[in-house]
Amino acid sequence: MAASFYSQLQKLLDEGLTVAVATIVQVKGSTPREVGAKMIIHPYGKHVGTVGGGCGEADVIRTGLDVLADGQPRTVRIDLTEPISMQSMGVCGGVLDVFIERWAPDDEQTQGGQ
Amino acid sequence: MRRAVAAALAASAERREAAALLSVLKATGAFDAQQGRRLVLWLDERPTVGDLDLGALQRRALDDARAALQARRHTQLVYRVGNDEIVLFVEVQPQPYHLIIAGAGHVAAPLAAMAAICDFKVTVLDDRPQYANKERFPTADHIIVGPFREELRKLRGGRPVFDPHTCLALVTRGHQYDVDLLLEVLDDPVAYIGMIGSRRRIRAVFDLLERERNIPRHKFDRVHAPIGLDIGAQTPSEIAVAILAEIIAVLHGRSTKLK
Repeated sequence: MAASFYSQLQKLLDEGLTVAVATIVQVKGSTPREVGAKMIIHPYGKHVGTVGGGCGEADVIRTGLDVLADGQPRTVRIDLTEPISMQSMGVCGGVLDVFIERWAPDDEQTQGGQ
Repeated sequence: MRRAVAAALAASAERREAAALLSVLKATGAFDAQQGRRLVLWLDERPTVGDLDLGALQRRALDDARAALQARRHTQLVYRVGNDEIVLFVEVQPQPYHLIIAGAGHVAAPLAAMAAICDFKVTVLDDRPQYANKERFPTADHIIVGPFREELRKLRGGRPVFDPHTCLALVTRGHQYDVDLLLEVLDDPVAYIGMIGSRRRIRAVFDLLERERNIPRHKFDRVHAPIGLDIGAQTPSEIAVAILAEIIAVLHGRSTKLK
């Protein structure tokens, strides 16, 4: 088996890096990847994984950099429903919601859970 | 906390045990403080890791998340208390499927390699050490050399049957071994059983088993034989593609008939 997503994330955090993690949380119609697909947005461009590639992923990376900067989680909607043409950005025909959160090595929050 | 969450998920992936991550997609009103919090849980009741604290809702959310993990399905959970709302995302990291490849021949080698790429845990079994070895199967998790049926029985690990996370590809060098192994697992609730052989040969074998061993025909219905999707595969590697594609289709509940 390949190295798991979280072992790669853990390694980056252990190196002291702050990254953003994007996760597809909802899809409608035909989309390039499935709910649960994940990607690490790396501050220096060494991204890990894919949420479908192409222009949609470029949007996710751009937003990921904003999340890295201010720490506010965001949900990005990628719309691939434009009519099929040479100019259109995405032609899969679906819509996907991508949730993006910052993961910093020193994000200490109250200990809760049970 | 983030590191502990990532470490817990990484360790579970390493141990190949099911775990789930709860994240907060949206939180309003009294739930607002939960933004950015998260929690890792397992199917059993061991202590969770993380800082998500839903108060009176916690128990219910954990139960709902465990149900999603059991079903191997990423899920959104929405809870409303008065005007306050919280939307959680349950990201499941299910136990990986275990592919047991009986026979370490020409098809087994590319099948084991591709299955590892697709995140299966892979075990290769053969009675010939010159075939079942690390050189031919560098990415396999386990390579077992020994008598087929006896070793397959041992692979159950003390449990009476193989579990539904197990897939079996019967691709030994001799049909008698494949059939012998098939009889061993015919009543196990495995996710997938495939057996190599020509259509004619397989029909003859099933007829024989029905006649001479009184095995009801319907028991063979879930056996994928001839193994693999009919994509016109010719070479051992192409046949391995056809087998793995069929396994993936079955695991995702898709038809194994080509469009």
